Amino acid sequence: MFENIPILSLLILFPLVGAIAAFMMGRSPKAAKYAALAFSAIPLALSTLLLTEFSLTGGFQFVEKYQWISFLGISFHLGVDGVSITMVFLSTLLVFLAILFSWDVEERLHQYMGLMLVLEVGVLGVFLSLDYFVFYIFWEVVLIPMYFLIAIWGGVNRAYASIKFFIYTHVASLAMLLGIFALFFTTAPLLQADGLIPADAIGTFDMLLIADVAGGLGEMLQIAIFGALFFGFIVKMPVVPFHTWLPDAHVQAPTAGSVLLAGLLLKMGSYGIIRICLPTLPEAAVDFQLIMAVIGVVAIIYGALACLAQSDLKKMVAYSSISHMGIVMLGIATLTQLGIAAAVFQMFAHGLITAVLFMVCGMFQHKAGTREIPMLGGLAPKVPILSTVMMMGFMASLGLPGMVGFLAEFMVFTSTYDAWGVWVLVPIATVALTAAYYLWAMQRSIFGELTTKIDTKHLHDAYWFETVPLAVLLGLIILFGVWPAFMLDLITPSIPMVWPLSGVI
Amino acid sequence: MIEYGAIYPEIILILFAVAIPALHLLIKSSRALAGISLVGILASAGMVVYYMVGDYPAIIGDPSAPLIVFDALAAVFSLVFLSVALVVVLASARYVEKDRHLAEYYTLIMMSTAGMMLVASAQDLLTIYVGIEIASMATYALVAFRKKDKRGSEAAVKYVIVGGLSSALSLYGISLLYGITGTSSLAGINEVLAAQGVELTTLLALALLVAGFGFKIAIAPFHMWAPDVYEGAPTPVSAFLAAGSKKMGLVVMFKLFLVGLIAIQANWDVVLGIVAILTMTIGNVVALSQTNMKRMLAYSSVAQAGYMLMAIPLATVVGDYAITGGIFHIITHAFMKSGAFIVVAALAYVAIGESVADYKGLGKRAPFLAFSMAIFMFALAGIPPLSGFMSKVVLLSASVEAAEITQWMIWLGVALVLNSALSLYYYVRVIKYMYVEKGETEARIKVPIALTAAIAICMVATVALGLFFDPVLELCSEAARTLFPALG
Repeated sequence: MFENIPILSLLILFPLVGAIAAFMMGRSPKAAKYAALAFSAIPLALSTLLLTEFSLTGGFQFVEKYQWISFLGISFHLGVDGVSITMVFLSTLLVFLAILFSWDVEERLHQYMGLMLVLEVGVLGVFLSLDYFVFYIFWEVVLIPMYFLIAIWGGVNRAYASIKFFIYTHVASLAMLLGIFALFFTTAPLLQADGLIPADAIGTFDMLLIADVAGGLGEMLQIAIFGALFFGFIVKMPVVPFHTWLPDAHVQAPTAGSVLLAGLLLKMGSYGIIRICLPTLPEAAVDFQLIMAVIGVVAIIYGALACLAQSDLKKMVAYSSISHMGIVMLGIATLTQLGIAAAVFQMFAHGLITAVLFMVCGMFQHKAGTREIPMLGGLAPKVPILSTVMMMGFMASLGLPGMVGFLAEFMVFTSTYDAWGVWVLVPIATVALTAAYYLWAMQRSIFGELTTKIDTKHLHDAYWFETVPLAVLLGLIILFGVWPAFMLDLITPSIPMVWPLSGVI
Repeated sequence: MIEYGAIYPEIILILFAVAIPALHLLIKSSRALAGISLVGILASAGMVVYYMVGDYPAIIGDPSAPLIVFDALAAVFSLVFLSVALVVVLASARYVEKDRHLAEYYTLIMMSTAGMMLVASAQDLLTIYVGIEIASMATYALVAFRKKDKRGSEAAVKYVIVGGLSSALSLYGISLLYGITGTSSLAGINEVLAAQGVELTTLLALALLVAGFGFKIAIAPFHMWAPDVYEGAPTPVSAFLAAGSKKMGLVVMFKLFLVGLIAIQANWDVVLGIVAILTMTIGNVVALSQTNMKRMLAYSSVAQAGYMLMAIPLATVVGDYAITGGIFHIITHAFMKSGAFIVVAALAYVAIGESVADYKGLGKRAPFLAFSMAIFMFALAGIPPLSGFMSKVVLLSASVEAAEITQWMIWLGVALVLNSALSLYYYVRVIKYMYVEKGETEARIKVPIALTAAIAICMVATVALGLFFDPVLELCSEAARTLFPALG
C-alpha cells in the first residue's frame, strides 16, 4: 500500500511544516494551537497506519535512502523495525497528547507549540534514522526545543536547570560523536575489502553496513568505541551517577516538557544502546554485560531510595524514572532476546505511565498551587477525577498486574533470573520500596483529613483537555496490560536482527 | 612579457579603491559609494569565478620558484575575503554615513581585501610579506577611522604597535630563513631544509615566524591585543578583522608549514598542537566571563582560531583531509562571526548597548535580529545541523583518523570536544538574554535594510553550508590538495 509513498519522511516532514507554521502565527496564537494539534495528529495517524501495515517478519521496513553528502558517505537513510516502530508510535502519541494537555498555556503560545513540534521532529528522526550522521543531527536537534521549553516556560530555577540540561547532555553527545568517527574510520578498510563501499571512498556512516563488518574489529578497539557510544547513551537515559541533570530539569520543566522529557528523551538513550551498541559491537557488549547489569541495578535501587526522601511530588516521579530506566538497562544487560524485548516493552510502558504521572503532578501544581506532599491531604473528595487518575497511574507504575508496567517488569525479571539466578532478588526487593513510596505519597496527598494549609475552596477538578489525554493513556495502559502480545509480536522478531548473539550468555 | 593574469582580481579591486575617493567629489551619498564598492567586489569575485570555471592563469615568476600562483587555494580564500568584504560594505553603508572621509573607508576595505587576496596566492615569503603589509596598513587606518572616538583611537594605537612588532618578528624570521637556505621561495626553502637538516638558527627562525604570524591570527599567547582592538574598532571593522584579516594569517600558516617547512615537521608538529589546544582553551575560558558582546566575540574568535590551527599538525599525518576541514571551518566561521558582529553593529545603530544584559527581551523587540543572532550563536557553538557543526565535524574526524597513526593527536579531538561543550555556555547565555529574560520595553526596533540584507546573507550561508555543503567540501578538498603537490 505504501510502496511509492515515502511515509517515514512524511512522518518527519509534517511536524516540521507544522512547527514553521506555528512560529509564523504570532498574530493569532489561538490558531497556532489548532494548527499544532492538527500537525501532530497527522503523524499520529501515520504511525498508527504503520503499526497496522508493519509485517511481523522483522527486519527494516519502509526503508528510504537518499544520497546527501557523498564526500563523507552520508545518506538520508530511514527505516523502521519492531523496536523503532514502538518508539515512533509512542512519540507521535505523547506529542499529540502533550499538545492537547497544554491547551491552557497562554504565554508565547505560538512559540510553545512550535517548539513542541520541533521536538517531535528531532525525536522521530532519532528513532527512524539508519545513518549515524543523520542520527546524531536529530539527536542534537532535540536539545534545542527542550532547552527553550525549560528556560522560558519553566519554574523558578529554570535558568540553571535548562543550561545544566543542555551542557550535560551535549558533552555526552560529543563523546558519542568521537565514537561514531572511530567507527567510521576503522570500518572503512573492512568495508572496502568486502566491496561494500567504493575503494576511493573515505568511509560510510550507514548503520547497517557498519554493523555488518564492525564485528571484525579488534576487541580493545571495540571496547573503546563501545565505551564512547555507551557514555553518550547512559547520560541520556540517565543512570547513576550521570543522572543529576534529570531531577533539576524535570522539576523546572513545564508539565508537557516533563512528559516528553521522561516519555521520549530518556528512551533515546536506551534505544541507542539497543539499536547501535549491541548489534554493532557484540563482543564488546559481552565484555560490558556485567557493568550494564550493575549500573542497571544501582539505578533501580538508588532511584527508589531517592523517591522515598522526596517531598515534592514531581521530584519523586522524576526519581522514579531513574529507577524504571534501570529496569530497562537490566533487561538489556541480559543480552537475551526475551530480556531485550522486555526492555523495549518496558520503555513503551514507562513512556505511557510516566506521562500520566507528570500530568498528575502538573495538575496538582495548577489547581492546588503546590506539589509539596506535606501541604496536601484529603483532596480525593474535592477532586475525584484527578485523584482517581493519580491512583491508577501510581498503581500502573508500581507494577499492578493487568496494567502494562507489570508485564514488562515481570519479563525483565524472568530473563534476569535466567541470566544470573537468585541475584534477581536484589532488584525485585526494590519493587516493595516502589510500592511503599507510591502508597505513602498517595495516602498523604489525597486521603486522610482535608488539608488546611492551602485554600481548598476553589479547587477545580480536571478540565476536558486534561481528562481526555489521561483517559487515552490509561486506556492504553490497560489495553496493552491485558493484550501485551500486540506489541511483543512486533518487537520480538526484530531482536535477533539487532542482537546476533541472542541466547549467548 | 610577463602575464599578470594571476593578479587581475586584485587589480580590479585596487582600481575601484582608487576611483572611489575621486568619485566622492561628485557623489556624496554613502549608499551610492557603498554600491560602487559592491560592484568592484562583485567584479573581482566574477574574475575569480571565471578562473575557477575555466583555467587558472599563468604563474608569475620562475616556475621552479614562483612568486604568485593563482590556484584553487587562492581562489577559495579570495572568495572568502571578498564575501566578508561584501557583507562588511553592505553593513557599513548606513553605519558610517554620518562620518567624514566616507570614501576612504570603502577604499581602505577594498585595499585591505586586495592585500589578503595577494597573500592567498603568494608562494614566496617576500610576496607574502608585501601582501600582509598592504592588508595590515589599511586595517590600522580602519580601526582608527573614528578618530574622535577615544576607544577607537586607543585600539588603533595598540593595533599599530602590536602589528608593527608582529611584522618585525616575521621579517626577522624570513631573513634568517633566507640566510640559511639562500632562497625566499617556499618550495625552495623546503628543498634546502630537507637536504641540510635543522640547525639552531632554523629553530630560531621558526620561533620568530610562529610569533610573528601568531600575533596576526591572535593565537595564544599572542592574543591579548585582539579583544581590545575588536572592542574599540567600529563594529563592521571588527567583523572584517575577525572574519577576514585573521584568515589571512591562517592561510600563511598553512603555506609556511605545509609547503615551506614540511621537511622538518618533526620539529614543529607537537608545538603547533599544543599551541592550538592552548589557544582554544584560553579563548573559551576567558570568553566565559565576558559581558561585553564584542569582547566575547573576540575571545570566541581566538578559540575558533585554535580549531583552525589544529588542522596543521593533523595535516602532517592525514594530509589534505585535515586542511579540507581547516578551510571549511574558515569559510563557515567567516559567515557566522561576521554575521554576529553585524548584528551587534545593527543594534548599536539603534542605540542598544554592547553588553549582553542590553539584549534582554530582544526576541520580542527585534525578532529577525534575535533569531539570526541565535542561529550564529548555535552555529559557533557547533550545534547541528548548522554550518559550524559540520566544519568542526570534519576537523574532529581528521583528528580521530590521525590518531590511528599518531596517537597523541586524539587529544586535539578531545580538546575540540571539551572546548565545544565549554563554549556552549557563553553562546547560549546570549540566547537566554534575548529570549528568556524580559526586556524593560517591548518597543519594536527598526533596522536599515542594508544591515538586514548583510545579516540575511550571513544567516542563509550559515544554514545552507550546514545542509548542502557537498560541493563546498569538494572545493575545499581541491584547494587543500594544492598544498600537497605529491598527491597530484
